[in-house]
Amino acid sequence: MSYSTFNRKHFDSTKEPMFFGENVNVARYDQQKHPIFEKLIEKQLSFFWRPEEVDLSNDRKDFQRLEEHEQHIFLSNLKYQTLLDSVQGRSPNVAFLPIVSLPELETWIETWSFSETIHSRSYTHIIRNIVNDPSKIFDDIVTNDEITKRADSVSKYYDRLIEMVNIYNTMGMGTFHIPGKGDVEVSMPKLKKALYLTIASVNVLEAIRFYVSFACSFAFAERTLMEGNAKIIKLIARDEALHLTGTQHMLNLMASGRDDPEMAVIAAQCQEEVRNIFIEAAEQEKEWATYLFKDGSMIGLNAQILGQYVEYITNIRMQAVGLETCFNTKHNPIPWINAWLVSDNVQVAPQEAEISSYLVGQTDNQLDDSDFDDFDL
Amino acid sequence: MTSTSKVSTVANKDAVHRVLLGKKQILVTEEEPLLVQLERAGIHVEYQCREGYCSSCSIKLLWGNVSYPFEPLAWVQSGYLLACCAIVKSDIEIAFFD
Repeated sequence: MSYSTFNRKHFDSTKEPMFFGENVNVARYDQQKHPIFEKLIEKQLSFFWRPEEVDLSNDRKDFQRLEEHEQHIFLSNLKYQTLLDSVQGRSPNVAFLPIVSLPELETWIETWSFSETIHSRSYTHIIRNIVNDPSKIFDDIVTNDEITKRADSVSKYYDRLIEMVNIYNTMGMGTFHIPGKGDVEVSMPKLKKALYLTIASVNVLEAIRFYVSFACSFAFAERTLMEGNAKIIKLIARDEALHLTGTQHMLNLMASGRDDPEMAVIAAQCQEEVRNIFIEAAEQEKEWATYLFKDGSMIGLNAQILGQYVEYITNIRMQAVGLETCFNTKHNPIPWINAWLVSDNVQVAPQEAEISSYLVGQTDNQLDDSDFDDFDL
Repeated sequence: MTSTSKVSTVANKDAVHRVLLGKKQILVTEEEPLLVQLERAGIHVEYQCREGYCSSCSIKLLWGNVSYPFEPLAWVQSGYLLACCAIVKSDIEIAFFD
């Protein structure tokens, strides 16, 4: 089969699976197979924010006063987050849009990806404000060993899925010799397995990998340092919490068999591999914490505490997708972080507290004479 | 005549229910979600969004009934509840990680 931007077949999209059914034709939302994705879109739109709304002028002064090893912690986290959002700003579109079959899910994927591009733009906003030459920071992302090690883990599942879907869309099913890659077998179970593992790895990216940097950003802000940055991170964390719910829904719908019975079989077969994706990511994040603190810790945080937090949050995320937890850490070693992560009242501009459920463009059209009572010419 | 086990979503102002958590027992009402009432009782519960979409406050529900004034965006696994938006509707027993 090959991808069509407007499938001419007449079919009922509510009978299609989330992925690998018919290509979507009409972008219609009056009937939905999984209305949750439409709800996620609405929530994400109500979260809309722009990095430029956050004033970072004090962060520049704060940054110059940080100890050298604290600057290392701050910049390294920023580089890692830049990597993660570079991947997330494009990959859901590139990997999932050619194979998605439900209009509401297609639009959720696009909305989700778009919000990641806001995150990427916010890193440029932060970096421009704290250093004179942003290139030094950005260029290091593709050369720094510690970062590139992680780039491989976060992109490999996406890349494998994209490659297989490309072959499938041009050649169909079968085993094909791809120069440089050897023989690649393309079958529906293999495609579905690659998809399931990719979504699990994306869930790990959004639900675990971001949280070490979040913790460091908020630890600075606890000391009233880099508070503009913390405001941006709060907004990013709010978006990521929604995105991880999106991938949890996809994984749970697939595993339950409610969406596509064949996917449930594949999910069951992949359970051990998915567990390992979670555990491997947690171990990498613990290693990352050690790298961050190699020249010294910061007040309230060290590699050991951050490592325990990674284990704790990994347990929570595993439980949310129906996996047995795998670490012994049962308590949050940094409970203060939740007060920073709480997102019902993220303050953007000092004069206005933005309520997350607030919808832009809601106007009141009900007017009567009494509305002009205190109006003088 | 048929009896229905469906949990009422209307808050019963005077109702007080027991929440068992290990050896602890906390009394809660139907006027607020479970999370705030556990916190007031000095119990730390993991949370993030506090409005039903992040699933961080998911807790095991061993037995008993809860209801949700609005359907949470997060996926609620069977046998679990979302503390930030669940209204306790009967005596219940809950548990954190094993």
